[in-house]
Amino acid sequence: MGRYIARRLLWLLVVIFSVSLITFAIAHAVPGGPFSREKKLPPAVLKQLNEKYRLDDPLWKQYVDYMGGIFIPRITQGEPITSYLEDYLINIPLGEYTLRWMNFGPSYKSQSRTVNDVFRENLPVSAELGLYAFLVASLIGIPLGIVAALKQNTLVDYLAMAIAIFGVSVPVIVLGPILIWLFAIRIPIFLPTGWGSLRAEVLPSIALGLGSSAIIARLTRASLLQVIREDYIRTARAKGLMERVVIIRHALRNSLIPVVTVMGPIFAFLVTGTFVTETIFGVPGMGRYFVTSITNRDYPVIMGTILLFAVVIVIANLVVDLLYAWLDPRIRYD
Amino acid sequence: MFSRNIVLTVLGLLVAVSLIAAPVSAAPPVKGNNQIDFENLPPKETLFSALFGAGDIPTLDPSLAEDTTSIQMGLELFVGLTRLNEETAEVEPGMATEWKISDDGLVYTFTLRKGIPWVRFDRSTGEVVVVEDEQGNPRYVTAHDFVYGVKRTLDPKTGSNYAYVNWIIKNAQAVNGGSELGDQDPLYGKVDEIGVRAVDDYTIEYTLAQPAAFFPGIASMWINWAQPRWLIEEKGEKWIEAENIQSYGPYALGDWTHDVSATLVANPHWPGTEAVPKPSIKYIHFTMLDESPSFANYEAGLADVSGVPLTEMDRVKADPVLSKELSIAPELCSYYYGFNVTKPPFDDVNVRKAFSWAVNRQAIVENVTKGGQEPARWFSRPGLTAAPDPAKDDFGPPVAGDPAKAKEFLAASKYGSADKLPEITLMVNQVEAHVKIAEAIQQMWQEALGVKVNLVTQEWKVYLDTLDSDPPQVWRLGWCYDYPDADNFARGVFRSDSGNNHTRWKNAKFDQLVDQAAIETDLDKRRALYVEAEKILVEEDAAIIPIYWYTRVQVTKPYVTRTYSIGGHEHYEKWKINK
Repeated sequence: MGRYIARRLLWLLVVIFSVSLITFAIAHAVPGGPFSREKKLPPAVLKQLNEKYRLDDPLWKQYVDYMGGIFIPRITQGEPITSYLEDYLINIPLGEYTLRWMNFGPSYKSQSRTVNDVFRENLPVSAELGLYAFLVASLIGIPLGIVAALKQNTLVDYLAMAIAIFGVSVPVIVLGPILIWLFAIRIPIFLPTGWGSLRAEVLPSIALGLGSSAIIARLTRASLLQVIREDYIRTARAKGLMERVVIIRHALRNSLIPVVTVMGPIFAFLVTGTFVTETIFGVPGMGRYFVTSITNRDYPVIMGTILLFAVVIVIANLVVDLLYAWLDPRIRYD
Repeated sequence: MFSRNIVLTVLGLLVAVSLIAAPVSAAPPVKGNNQIDFENLPPKETLFSALFGAGDIPTLDPSLAEDTTSIQMGLELFVGLTRLNEETAEVEPGMATEWKISDDGLVYTFTLRKGIPWVRFDRSTGEVVVVEDEQGNPRYVTAHDFVYGVKRTLDPKTGSNYAYVNWIIKNAQAVNGGSELGDQDPLYGKVDEIGVRAVDDYTIEYTLAQPAAFFPGIASMWINWAQPRWLIEEKGEKWIEAENIQSYGPYALGDWTHDVSATLVANPHWPGTEAVPKPSIKYIHFTMLDESPSFANYEAGLADVSGVPLTEMDRVKADPVLSKELSIAPELCSYYYGFNVTKPPFDDVNVRKAFSWAVNRQAIVENVTKGGQEPARWFSRPGLTAAPDPAKDDFGPPVAGDPAKAKEFLAASKYGSADKLPEITLMVNQVEAHVKIAEAIQQMWQEALGVKVNLVTQEWKVYLDTLDSDPPQVWRLGWCYDYPDADNFARGVFRSDSGNNHTRWKNAKFDQLVDQAAIETDLDKRRALYVEAEKILVEEDAAIIPIYWYTRVQVTKPYVTRTYSIGGHEHYEKWKINK
C-alpha cells in the first residue's frame, strides 16, 4: 500500500514535467505575446519589457529558467526582496540567511501580483468555495440518486430525475443571477457578492454545487440499479438480511465506484477555481487568473495555474483509486 | 486497515494543501489595522463605488499605468502640473499655479504650488500623516519630484508603455530608445539629457522638440506626475503597495486588498484649489467586480454607483426608479472599421465609399449596441480639444447611411457591380458585441449593395497579430484618448508613419494637415485643420468607416451629488453624499 502510494507520487513528478513542457510549448506557440495590444508599443519599449521578463532569451532557456526557479532552492542573505520578479512560496530563515524555494514568477498583466500571491490569497478562496460546492453536490446528488433507484419508475424517481435534469441543463450563468435576484435583492437574506462571511458564501456554493449534484445523482441511480440486480444482492436478501442492510452495506458501497470515479475530477475542477461562478458572485478566487491568463498570454500565470491543476487532479485520482479498494474488497493494490 | 490508510492519505493531502496555502514564513501582506475596519466603513462618510471592473488594479506606479483603473486611482493620489476638467476636458491648473510659453512655443515654464506635503496613511493611527525626511522635516512636493517622475518614465529601464507620449520633449525620443538608432543612439538611457529641469525648487522648465499646442494636456498625464524618489529607491517596485505608498493628491491610499477592494481616505493636508477642491467624502471604497455583480450590489443597496450591464439596459430604462438614476455620458473613444487599401477591391476608393455609405449607424446604436452610443461620421470624437463638432460641421458618411448613393459609388468603381467584386472578408475579434455589430453590417451591405461578405473572427491577440502582419480587407478597432486632443486621434492613429495605422493608407496632404494642426496654437484654426484632415480620411479617401462614438452608462443613488466625466476618470473630490 505505502509503496503503491509512493510509486504514484513519483509518477506525479513525471506528470508535472510533461504537463509543464506541453503547456509551455503551446502557450508560446500561440500567436501574439503578453505585450501585443491595440495601441502598439514602440519597439524600444517592447524590447525593454522583453528584457525585463527575459522573454528575449531562447525558448529552451526560458523553460529551463522557469522550472529552475520553481524546483531549485536558493539561499539568500539579508536584503528584503523589492521586485515582483522574485517571490518564493517557501522561505525558511536560517540565521542571517534564508532558504528560498519555489518561485512561480510574476504576472505580466497584474503587474503588482505574483503567481505565488495567487496561490497564497486566491487559491484558498477557490478551494473553500469548491469544497462547499462539492459538499452540496454530494449531499444532494447521492441521496437523490439512491431514492430514485430504490423507487424506480415511480413518481419519486421521476421527480428526482427531473430535479437532476434541471441541475444539469441550467448553467450557473443562468442560475447564479436568478439566485442573486431572489435571495439577495428581492428577499435580502444573503449578499449578492463577496466572500468571507456565511451570508456571502451560501449562494455561490449552491449555484456551483447544483450542476455537479445532478451528474452525481444520475450516475448513482444508474449504477445502483445495476448493482441491485447482481447475484450477491439476491444472496444477501436470501440470507434474510434486512433491506436496509442489503442496500447500505452491500449494494450502495459497490455502486459508488463509478460515482467516486467522476467525483475525483469534479473535486479537482471545483477547488481550482471556477471562472463563471466566481465572476457572477464576485468571489476573489483564482478562476479569473486561470481564464484571463490565456487571453493575456500571461505565461507564468498560465504555467502556474495549469501545474497546480495537474497536481490536484493527480492527487484526487490517487484518492479515488484508494477509495476503490475500500468500497470493493475485491480490489487490492499490494 | 484501509480506512486508516485513507485517513493518513487525506491528512497528507491536507498538509500539502496547507503548505501551499500558508507558506512557512513568507511575509504576509499587511492587512487592515486597529483603527479602521475597511470592510465596514461608515455609510454616511463613504462612497461605495462599483465602477471598477473585475480583476486587480494592475499597478499604481504612474510610470507604468496604462489602463482606466490604474489611472483612476492615480488621479486621486496624485495631481499633475495641470489637470483636465473631467466634464469639459479643458486644461486647468493642477500642481502648477501658472505656466508660460516662450515665443517660439518650445519652452514651457511651470510655477509650482508651495507647501503641498507628501503624505501616507498611517495604519496604526488610521490617519493620513505628513511624510518626514531624515531630519524630521515635512517633505513638500518640489520641482525635483516632478523632474524625477518625467525622467523615470522616459528611462528605458522603467519600460513605460506611455513614454512615447513624452517624445515631444527635447531628446526624449532618443533617450527612451525611440530613435531610428534604438539603443545604439548616443543619447540612449541618458535621462539627464532630456529637456526638463528644475530651475529652482518650485519652477519646472520643459523644452520641447517642436512646438505642440496640446502640451499642457500632456503635462496633466500620469507619466509626468511627481514621484517619491527616496521611497522608490528604498522599496523598489513594491513602493506602490498600501503599506508603502506615499502621495500628495486629494486622497491617500488606505487599503488595497488585491483582487477584492481598494479604499481611498481623504487627505486632510491637501489644501484644496479651485480645480481640485478638498474632498467632501471621507472614504471611497472600490470593489473589483464585473458589471453584473456590481449592478446586483447596486440594486441590493450595497453600492452607491455602478455601471449597467447591456442585458439590463431595457429593464433599467423602463423601471420608474432606476431610469431616474440612469446617466449616459460621452466617453472619448471611437469605434470604426478600417479597410486594407492595398487589397482589392478596396484599392478602389469608390468601393470603400460604397461600403461606408451603405452602413446605417443610427440603426446600429439603436438596435444593436443600445448603450446610448452616438453614431459617428468621423474619427476624432467630439469633445476632444479641436475635434470637429456635429453641431457645426457637416461632412462624412450620413448617420443613417445612404444605400442609393452607395450603389452609385459601386457603379462608378472599376468593378462596376457587386457580382464583379472579388471575395471579401470582414474580420473582427471574437467578442459577442463585436460579432453582433459585424453581422448587422454584413446584412446592411447585402441589402444595400447585394454583396455577400464573409465574417471571420479571431481571438484578440491573434487578431492583433493579423492586423500587424497582414490586415484583412475590412477589420474593426476602437481608439480611446491618451490626452484629450484631436491630435491624439488624427495624427496618433492615421498619420502615414503611425504604428496604429493598419489601413496601409497614406496621404501626404493629410499628414501635412495634422502636422500643421499639432503646432498651431489658435484653437479655431486647429479645428478647421482637423475638419479638413478628417474630410480626407472619411470622405475623399474613405480609408475607414466611422461607426459610433462611445458613451458610459451608469446608475447613481439619488443622495449622491456628482460630476460626470467624459474621459472615463472620475474626480471624486468633487462628489458629495447627502444622507
